[in-house]
Amino acid sequence: MGKRWQTIVAITLALVLAILGTFLFAYRAGRRARRLHAENEPIRAWMSVPFIAHTHHVPAATLFQAIGVTPRQPHDRRSIRHLAHELNKPVPELIAQLQHAIDAAKGPPGGSAR
Amino acid sequence: MNDQLLAAVSQYGAPALFGIVAIAAIGVPLPVTLLLILAGSMVSQGAMDIWGAIAAAGVGSILGDQAGYAIGRWGGPALVKRVSSRFGKRVDLAAIEAKTQAWGGPGIFVTRWILGALGPWMNLASGTAGYPWHQFLFWDVLGEMTGAAVYISLGRFFSDRVIALEGVLGDLSWAIAALVAAIFLGWRLLVYLRRAPK
Repeated sequence: MGKRWQTIVAITLALVLAILGTFLFAYRAGRRARRLHAENEPIRAWMSVPFIAHTHHVPAATLFQAIGVTPRQPHDRRSIRHLAHELNKPVPELIAQLQHAIDAAKGPPGGSAR
Repeated sequence: MNDQLLAAVSQYGAPALFGIVAIAAIGVPLPVTLLLILAGSMVSQGAMDIWGAIAAAGVGSILGDQAGYAIGRWGGPALVKRVSSRFGKRVDLAAIEAKTQAWGGPGIFVTRWILGALGPWMNLASGTAGYPWHQFLFWDVLGEMTGAAVYISLGRFFSDRVIALEGVLGDLSWAIAALVAAIFLGWRLLVYLRRAPK
């Protein structure tokens, strides 16, 4: 096989990979976009309590109360990691408390929110 | 470290956003898209002003890009010559400069936001190839301000879906990058097939 054909085969293989990549990532993006409003946002250590309250549609005061923190005025944007450090608690424990409070505030699936 | 940066933007707002995007534009891999979406979500929550957020993100990125361009401009040619001579090859900087002149503007624009991961490399390449600074600045400002406005607006609109939206945009930018590569390779293949065999 000559050098010309080797180059053609190499470019064709790269082209096929690029086309496959285009469809794969476009499909993944479309699938994620369709589920955008169906799934709850995860709670991460960098998030603040008002941010979590906003993404889960529950009052921030409810979440602050659930973890036993008096919010600073006018905006308390301390992260979960920061609060966990101040409360001397592990981050996963604080996240679990917040998740429990969110579930309680939203009520059982199919039921009305409290 | 990403957690700390996201927490910093969440807590300190526009000044933190400004500093982080400037560092990212120089070439440090940081989650800029997620930060811009987060800023948009904070705008929606009333914790940040939209014009302040767009200005902080846009100006911070432009300053970082200018630093990258300057590094390429003043240190790039010498570095390219040193590396290429070590590998026994001569790189024609004039040819690179001509190609950059032809493709530079739109290339700079899309690597500011749609293909953001390539932005820092484009800054260095533009500086190294001697792309005119005033043209670089024009496309840079246009691209960065567009990118900041688009991502922050998306974050504002989907303010309760920050993580999910970042996933969608990440996949979308990979799909666009693969599509650009496919178009380029298809064109190269066509040129190669049309060329008469020696």
